[in-house]
Amino acid sequence: MAFVWPIGGGKGGSGKSFLTSSLGRLSAQAGKKTLIIDLDLGAANLHTLVGVPYPEKGFSDFLQKRIPLLEDTVIKTSYENLFLISGARDNFDIANLPYAQKMKTLRAIARLDYDRILLDLGAGTSFNTLDFFLISQNGIFVTTPEPTSIENVYRLIRSLYFRLIRYCFTAQEYKALGEEIENKFGQGATNRPDTMMNALEVIHPQRYEKLQDELGSFRFKLIVNQLRRYDNASLGTQISTMVGKHLGLHLEFAGNVAYDDHVHDAICQQVFFVDRYPYTKTAMDLKELSRQIVEHTGQQMSLRNM
Amino acid sequence: MPKNFKKMNFYERLDIGPTAASFEIRHAYNAACQMYTSGSLVSYSFFSQREREEILLLIEEAYQTLINEQTRKQYRAELVRRGELAEEDTAATHKKPIDVFAFSSGHRSGVIVAKHDALKEKIAESETINAILQKKNIGGADLKQIRQELGIELEHIAKLTKIRVDYLKHIEADAAASLPAPVFLKGFLKSYLKCLCLEPVEEISGRYLERLARSGGG
Repeated sequence: MAFVWPIGGGKGGSGKSFLTSSLGRLSAQAGKKTLIIDLDLGAANLHTLVGVPYPEKGFSDFLQKRIPLLEDTVIKTSYENLFLISGARDNFDIANLPYAQKMKTLRAIARLDYDRILLDLGAGTSFNTLDFFLISQNGIFVTTPEPTSIENVYRLIRSLYFRLIRYCFTAQEYKALGEEIENKFGQGATNRPDTMMNALEVIHPQRYEKLQDELGSFRFKLIVNQLRRYDNASLGTQISTMVGKHLGLHLEFAGNVAYDDHVHDAICQQVFFVDRYPYTKTAMDLKELSRQIVEHTGQQMSLRNM
Repeated sequence: MPKNFKKMNFYERLDIGPTAASFEIRHAYNAACQMYTSGSLVSYSFFSQREREEILLLIEEAYQTLINEQTRKQYRAELVRRGELAEEDTAATHKKPIDVFAFSSGHRSGVIVAKHDALKEKIAESETINAILQKKNIGGADLKQIRQELGIELEHIAKLTKIRVDYLKHIEADAAASLPAPVFLKGFLKSYLKCLCLEPVEEISGRYLERLARSGGG
């Protein structure tokens, strides 16, 4: 089974697609059969970053049943070992994926046969993004060292947290639970992870245990992108401490990626930054990060079979 | 869900161990202030203004208690009484300075000395070696024979004398010209002989060099 790395981060423009394409390219270069999937539904652009300007097929063909198997929508890029499932050429209502289709997609991704699979997720905290992010326990958060971006990462983490709680209950149970908690613990108690968990511990001790196990099994990573020279380089470590201490989630700081004006040039020329400017600090940082993905030998946590 | 910050003990609040030294406490306090102070990128948007102020107060309390030896002692005793801390964890283990001369003393040289005695005995007993040592001219081949009789590898000599193996081979092959410079020969040769415990070193090396000079090798 492949190692799946969802890459998300809440805020748009933090470099999720750029990191996905760069890490995919480096992982392919290191000899791993790598697939990158554009799941930024409704705002797909990953194909442009990997040199496939006019993808002849894509993810929407699978959803529309024009192509029955997800592996048949894979496009070979002009780079060895690097494959793409494009999100381009989709219908304009694709951003609102119905539940059944989402489940179908998740199961299909879990069955793909590649060494490494990177998922480029969209901004925001829609259910689509959350569910795709939770497909694997190895999700990667991308943030820039700006308060807006960090704010959205926290928001995404909390949303994921609630999504996981939500999985444990049926719709009716969840609604009833919400009311019960509001009554017992006061207004707003369902809006904070800690009070919510405290309440759960009292009301549903068994499910609380299960949930604790599940939360503990995640191994998230954090990348601080676009770090300028005068920025605080230990920001990532501090965020990771913060999340560990106050939310109890395992968020490992994977590394910084230096800011470089040339990224803009590379994207405009539609070539890989790591190929065009291989000896910049930014490219070195990316290589260092890709090593963590390439050399990942730990067990792939079970893909959620929802 | 992790413990509520308020319920953490002072050590947990600052992320330090119960035996932390005062400079570690100060360091942890600075790091925590950096994280929770208003205007910090990390905690902005994680807490509301009120929560942040509460946490800063709790950190201040932890720091003020732990940085003062007197109050820290009382607090430790209280934690032990509550059963949150084991008795032995409370005493800060002071690291003793390491004696600079303590390492690699005695042991290694002792082995060599013991070997020396064994070698000398072997030399005295062996007829072949004595026969070679009686000869007027001693060449590289003779040295090699003695060495093999004693069962010593060139690599072993190289390790002890720090002379490269190929130079030792040159000596045994009478190929002094292949050494980096002629002046090295004498020194290398002496080290080699000392390593094999062949005595007297001066005399034997003299015989070797003489022969080499006569044959025109040196």
